[in-house]
Amino acid sequence: MALLLRTVARQGLYSSRSQFGVLYRHAVPMGTTAKEEMNKFWAKNTRLNRPMSPHLTIYRWSIPMMMSITHRGTGVGLSAGISAFAIAALVLPGDYPQYLDMIHSWSFGPALITATKFALAFPVAYHTYNGIRHLIWDVGKGFKIPEVYRSGYVVIALSVLTSVALAAI
Amino acid sequence: MAALVRISSVCHRGVKPLLLRSTTLARPLAGLIKDHDRSCVITAKIHATPSNYAGSGSKAASLHWTSERVLSIILLGMAPVAYYYPGPAIDYSLAAALTLHGHWGLGQVLTDYVHGDLKIKLANASLFVLSAFTFAGLCYFNYSDVGICKAVALLWSK
Repeated sequence: MALLLRTVARQGLYSSRSQFGVLYRHAVPMGTTAKEEMNKFWAKNTRLNRPMSPHLTIYRWSIPMMMSITHRGTGVGLSAGISAFAIAALVLPGDYPQYLDMIHSWSFGPALITATKFALAFPVAYHTYNGIRHLIWDVGKGFKIPEVYRSGYVVIALSVLTSVALAAI
Repeated sequence: MAALVRISSVCHRGVKPLLLRSTTLARPLAGLIKDHDRSCVITAKIHATPSNYAGSGSKAASLHWTSERVLSIILLGMAPVAYYYPGPAIDYSLAAALTLHGHWGLGQVLTDYVHGDLKIKLANASLFVLSAFTFAGLCYFNYSDVGICKAVALLWSK
């Protein structure tokens, strides 16, 4: 009887092991499987002519969402500005103070100069403060929805105050 | 997550009678480990991460994530240094840090919005060229012109 039980149990174990083997075989090339799944998903989306996700039109716009895309927007914008500046430095003849004097000689008036300074300072200030907000999230703090809103308002207020102050210099 | 717990509990329940019998008879430890392993395998299967780094089996992804954060913090620290101690050292450091921060940030944007093997390769190659030119341009500006710190100071003095 014991022998019979043992044989049955062994067989059960073997069958479960073979099942385990099947699962394991599927699980090992995990990245490939996920990639294949993703490719299938995108192929289907293209075939059915589905709109690109995220479907912006179906969402009610919220402050954190707008702040998130603004963070990305300011990041891309600042990066583009830095690249344009660097390539201009490589390509353009003449040096920086010369161009600065040239722009200054056009005498735009103090209002436009202050506005330009604000337009330059705001993305830097916003991306910096919101970057700090992201770093705080990265250590796992401030994820409750009221906290997300509160930190968002703090970032907006600080960004506006800082860039107004910088523009006024 | 709830579904995951459910699936693994079902898995436990389904396997246990068989394993329990074998544990009483032969190798208790092996049986238990098998059971545990199996639920782990299922968990891993469901949690397959759709990432460029998945499957490489390395720490490349998390290392990259950490490097991005470290660089961000370094960049934050550079601002006061640039203000109080402007000069070639911080100029070149800013050139490198700003370029790399922008390179990684834009790379993340490309990962999010660009799909298709060839397009991804093209986009990443273009980004690499852009970043290389950006770094070269900033270094050239630091070398042959007033430098980044002085440039900002001059701009703001007008």
